[in-house]
Amino acid sequence: MNPYLAVAALFLMVSVMFMLPLVPALVELRRKSDALPLNVVQQNSGEIRHFANSFRDYIKGLQPIMQHCAADGTSAAGTFPGGEEYIVLGRADEPLMLAFQQRDATHPVMMAAGVDLIVPPNGTFSKDIYAGRQFLGGDQNTYRAILGETTVHLGASSRVMRWVHAVGEFTADLGCRLYGRISSDSLIRLRRDCSFLRLNAPRIEIGSVAANQGAPSPNGTLPASTGVVSVQRFLHDGDFEVQAGQIINGNIVIRGNLHIRSGARICGSVKSVEDMVLEDGVSVEGSLISARNMRVGPNCAIHGPVIAEQELTIAAGTRCGTLKHPTTVSAPRIGVEEGVVVFGTLWAREQGEVVARQ
Amino acid sequence: MIYVLYSIVFVICIYTGRHYWFTLNRLFGFQRHPYIDIDTADWPPVTVLVAAHNEEKVIANILDALMTVKYPEDRMLVIPVNDRSTDRTREIIDKFVQDFPGRIQAFHRVGGKGGKAAALKNAMELVNTEVILIFDADYIPGAGLIKQLVAPFFDLEVGGVMGRVVPLNAGTNLLTRLLDLERSGGYQVDQQARMNLRLVPQHGGTVAGVRLSALREIGGWNENSLTEDTDLTYRLLLNGWKTVYQNRSECYEEVPEVWPVRIKQIMRWAKGHNQAMVTYGLRLLLGQNRATLRERIDGTLLLGVYAMAPVTLVGWALALGVFYQGVAPLHGVIALLSLTAYAALGNLAAFFEIAAAVRLDGTRKRISLLPFLILGFAVSIFSVSRAAFSQVGDLVTGAEFHWDKTERFRKVL
Repeated sequence: MNPYLAVAALFLMVSVMFMLPLVPALVELRRKSDALPLNVVQQNSGEIRHFANSFRDYIKGLQPIMQHCAADGTSAAGTFPGGEEYIVLGRADEPLMLAFQQRDATHPVMMAAGVDLIVPPNGTFSKDIYAGRQFLGGDQNTYRAILGETTVHLGASSRVMRWVHAVGEFTADLGCRLYGRISSDSLIRLRRDCSFLRLNAPRIEIGSVAANQGAPSPNGTLPASTGVVSVQRFLHDGDFEVQAGQIINGNIVIRGNLHIRSGARICGSVKSVEDMVLEDGVSVEGSLISARNMRVGPNCAIHGPVIAEQELTIAAGTRCGTLKHPTTVSAPRIGVEEGVVVFGTLWAREQGEVVARQ
Repeated sequence: MIYVLYSIVFVICIYTGRHYWFTLNRLFGFQRHPYIDIDTADWPPVTVLVAAHNEEKVIANILDALMTVKYPEDRMLVIPVNDRSTDRTREIIDKFVQDFPGRIQAFHRVGGKGGKAAALKNAMELVNTEVILIFDADYIPGAGLIKQLVAPFFDLEVGGVMGRVVPLNAGTNLLTRLLDLERSGGYQVDQQARMNLRLVPQHGGTVAGVRLSALREIGGWNENSLTEDTDLTYRLLLNGWKTVYQNRSECYEEVPEVWPVRIKQIMRWAKGHNQAMVTYGLRLLLGQNRATLRERIDGTLLLGVYAMAPVTLVGWALALGVFYQGVAPLHGVIALLSLTAYAALGNLAAFFEIAAAVRLDGTRKRISLLPFLILGFAVSIFSVSRAAFSQVGDLVTGAEFHWDKTERFRKVL
């Protein structure tokens, strides 16, 4: 073989091999098929009521039909322009009279009512439900989503797969499984053995809440103290303990485990890099943050956000936030005893559970 | 010579391992987003500083966006820091001040030392809130961003917060597409992995926040620093404050669209970073400070990233020299290390990181541009090396650092 030709062939081959990985790149560069900026969420920004608000807009067109059905006590069925079927109910007990009452029935139709809506037990509602007035769900139902313009009540052992929003009170009976977002503009009440992920309301009551609990008010009278300590930001390496009844004016950051004994009061925020335990009647005026596990209560009062990076347990009688100053309680796993009140958001990323009082 | 080469290979291996560790952590490890769920709170008053030097092309966009964010209006004050602008920046800012009384307060700086840190330092006379957020003028914050950036400050250990930067003009040309990939790797993998592993996420100086009491404790903005963000990260760390990264707090930015601007930008970053390395490196690694052991190690490695470019070039030169001298260094562990090092010289670990980031972002076809990163890598390695060598030259001649503003490409409104 001609040596010049061989060198040229070698050069060509190497060039082709070098260029080969660039072919898809050149194609993409020319076509720009994936050249838009990343889709950064700009507007809804995780707003818990986003789906409820979108759904309300979506069914706006049904309002005249709902009013008509409510006035006449009749029902109507139809299809949205997008092809989704709906049924409009005009009587509160109508679902009971339709084919819905049979056991384990599945209802793949969007349901809307301008009147009170009572749904029978043991059903699966795989499309969204709109209740213009009260919504009363039977036991052991499964819902995709519910928007209630007044109160929403779920029967025992019901399940919510995506979201519920109630303009009025939302209550979930024993053993409900709330997998999505639950929000109310007034009150959320969960009974024992309910599980949840994300709740938001001005007031969230877990189980029955006694009218007069032992939780101290962050602005109330001070407990008997063993001493007052004032610090700007107290940073401590290693474990630390706040004595019973001690008052600390300032913020504390503990790079270890933190134990706050009964009746102590922190007029500031608290952070622990490891586990944190708050005993009975502790009050914290700022935030409470643990990079690991946290146990709060019983009868504690926390003013600011409560965050645990692993597991959070809140004992009976504890209050987080106030009606005037709502807050967020968040952790991957949360166990909340009956008798806890949270004002604002209660958010368990993986699993939240209502447990019986210890 | 051979032992210098061995040392370089060893250091490159450490950085290679670090890249792989971060990437695998992002793909398979536990992801930390501890503050992102704080959506309800008694939100503290906040001051938003917008650094602006001749920003007539972009300043209106960010002020518009800031006026529509979801944060209590009576608790947020926006201060555009107009740093000696000679274009229409002042006029545009004043119009906004007029249109949104009480919500925007202008700070017009007409003289003084150049640079963002110096401008921010002067603007601090108007700041009296504990939480300060900082944006460059070419950024466009989303509705929920302010709350997301403020939320970490409920943690009293946090002194600084950094959000994620996303190029808005990603599709303009090859350079912007490569920068889009680099940003993905840098934020989606690198920063978040450091957050996950409790290492040292870096303050970026924009889409970022700082606690006023922490800033005062560390002596305020360092106007002598070319990269006030890196400088801030390390001074906070040395004083027991954490910087946290919020991967889901995303904000659009404009990236350079022409190579000369990109080269100028990366050279400034390199000089500033190297400056921080010289100032804080030994103090962090060996001095008495509040950083944990893992923070000391990671912080030191982070300080050295821009120094790796000239080190790599020297390594290449030495490898060639060793080859032509006929030295055969290939035996045992050294051979293995060398092999890894040469993989790293191709920056494969960084490429793996970027590929993982693109996957995590859920995008698909842009990953095919990955081979072109060789081009970006080559430009960077020579630019950063040039910056390092000129920095050494400046030290010898006593020349002062010069701050260059990054040119904008958006059309004037």
